[in-house]
Amino acid sequence: MEHKGFTLWFTGLSGAGKTTLAVQVRDILKESGYKVELLDGDVVRTNLSKGLGFSKEDRDTNIKRIGFVCHLLSRNNVIAIASAISPYRDVRDGIREQIGDFVEVYAKCPLEVLVERDVKGLYKKALAGEIQNFTGVSDPYEEPLNAEVVVETDKETEAESLAKIFVKLKALGYLASTGGDGYTKEEEKAVEDRLRALGYL
Amino acid sequence: MPKLAIIGLDCLAPQLVFEQYREEMPNLKRLMERGMWGRLESTIPPITVPAWTAMMSSKNPGTLGFYGFRNRADYTYDRMTIANSSAVKDDRAWDILSRAGKKVIVLGVPQTYPPSEVNGQMVTCFLTPSKQNQYTWPPELRDEIDAVAPDYMIDVEEFRTEDKLALLESIYAMTRHRFVLAKHLTATKPWDFFMMVEMGPDRLHHAFWKFCDPQHPKYEKGNKFENVIRKYYQYLDRQIGDLLATLGQDTVVMIVSDHGAQKMDGGICINEWLLREGYLTLLERPAGVVPLHKAKVDWSRTVAWGEGGYYTRLFMNVKGREPQGAVPVADYERVRNELVVRLEAMVDPHGKNIGTIAFKPEEIYRQTNGIPPDLIVYLGNLAWRSVGGIGHESVHTFENDTGPDDANHAQHGVFIMVDPHKPARGQVEGLHITDIGATAVSLFGLPVPDDMEGKVIV
Repeated sequence: MEHKGFTLWFTGLSGAGKTTLAVQVRDILKESGYKVELLDGDVVRTNLSKGLGFSKEDRDTNIKRIGFVCHLLSRNNVIAIASAISPYRDVRDGIREQIGDFVEVYAKCPLEVLVERDVKGLYKKALAGEIQNFTGVSDPYEEPLNAEVVVETDKETEAESLAKIFVKLKALGYLASTGGDGYTKEEEKAVEDRLRALGYL
Repeated sequence: MPKLAIIGLDCLAPQLVFEQYREEMPNLKRLMERGMWGRLESTIPPITVPAWTAMMSSKNPGTLGFYGFRNRADYTYDRMTIANSSAVKDDRAWDILSRAGKKVIVLGVPQTYPPSEVNGQMVTCFLTPSKQNQYTWPPELRDEIDAVAPDYMIDVEEFRTEDKLALLESIYAMTRHRFVLAKHLTATKPWDFFMMVEMGPDRLHHAFWKFCDPQHPKYEKGNKFENVIRKYYQYLDRQIGDLLATLGQDTVVMIVSDHGAQKMDGGICINEWLLREGYLTLLERPAGVVPLHKAKVDWSRTVAWGEGGYYTRLFMNVKGREPQGAVPVADYERVRNELVVRLEAMVDPHGKNIGTIAFKPEEIYRQTNGIPPDLIVYLGNLAWRSVGGIGHESVHTFENDTGPDDANHAQHGVFIMVDPHKPARGQVEGLHITDIGATAVSLFGLPVPDDMEGKVIV
């Protein structure tokens, strides 16, 4: 299926749900026939950005590299999904400008909730001073001012957040009318079975 | 400021509302007397999708780019996608009103799933996979529905059943819960524009038409379901009356349906017909009835194939367009014309012409966006349904491929409108489904967008 490429950029604090949502979006789009690649900040640090640390400069380099790859993918009609804390606004905005077809999703979640959740045990260590330059604790996070989508992962279910993202992608015209209907394969089958039973097909 | 409430009733039949049951539906009768009413011409085809969206966007299916529930995703033989709200690129009246700051409530209107961020409330339609999905805007409205209408139904389950009593109960329950929710939303949320669509009449007609219509070939006088449709229409009238009583005297009210209903004489196995007429070739005849995409079709020697449903969508296998196209582009129009002639000559098992009509999309639509069928065919002018499977013993079937179904759609639906500030006008003619969206926008004093195709009903 031919479709337009764009970059879907998830930003937010560690543990806010960026990758969880990004994986879901990727799977749904893939099942609907779209060409999709996911660049996960954590994974990228083991290859594309291997050796980079967490200084402001290294962080910026890491994000710019991800942005560069997203740009290449997007302009070749692939949907590039990035999931990275990407704490600095000017860097995100620079990538937005470079790519053009750029949709920013802010996974918003209060720090207290993240500390409470602490899925990876990182916040505990950061608060104890065992990890330096930890975004949200000992390093700044600059919230997006004009994100296309804000998902509040402490208040919404995953399905609600996904619905918001797909509604926006549809409104922006990135999901074509002939495909990308927002159903998973199972859901599409369920709806199709219903339509057949009702006599419509 | 005006308020507008549109009560949509899928498949509500004008001959029943305006004639047969008129005296038994006091609320609708009163609306007809106070306002204007008439038959509302539907889209070609007169099917839930695209009809409701054509109504509210004021655009025909060709402009909208979808021609039924499922549309070709590309020119392969089997890739089709379901046209839910993601397929709708054009504004519907509530989008325009939302942007103008009007508060809207949209309940159960087809092609609203996944939900959109309206200025107000949205509860999506029966294209919602299940209530587990995010089917409301705002998202938290879902919890509220669980509290006020916990048994709210997206649609009836188990439609193809011979347990007619259970099905009837299910249809009543669906209707009841929808009106409970309608009353809750209109009473507790601010609104300028309210629209609901109840699917009950459609489900009822398909399941019970043969019991109630003496003209139906399978009708048996004195059967126990003989008055089922009549009683349901009376019930619907009471539900409408109750809802209207809560909406306030100043509200402009419309009662509309997306198409009508008529008896179904039987089914035409369209691919079986194409096979026998030499337009479709199989490598191997299947052992039983199978969907066409599961049969071994010799595409290199196939001219056309068809889809099932209440009407036929016929696709031609064109060289350079389909993967194994067989019809040279230079022959396309000649072959298509030949198909039209042969289709329109189709007969019933007694050799009588059934009155089929075949439409060329570019002749009935201003544009043909997306991938239109090569022909849209009303078998027996919609008195016969299209059966898509292959392996049937005959072209004609009287047992449906998917279970009992005894009604088909009719080209005209219902329109009733009352504006409390205008005098009664009685019966009006020449109304088209696309007029509704334009009229809705205009009622709020907003300019009707130039690309809306309907006219404002005044």
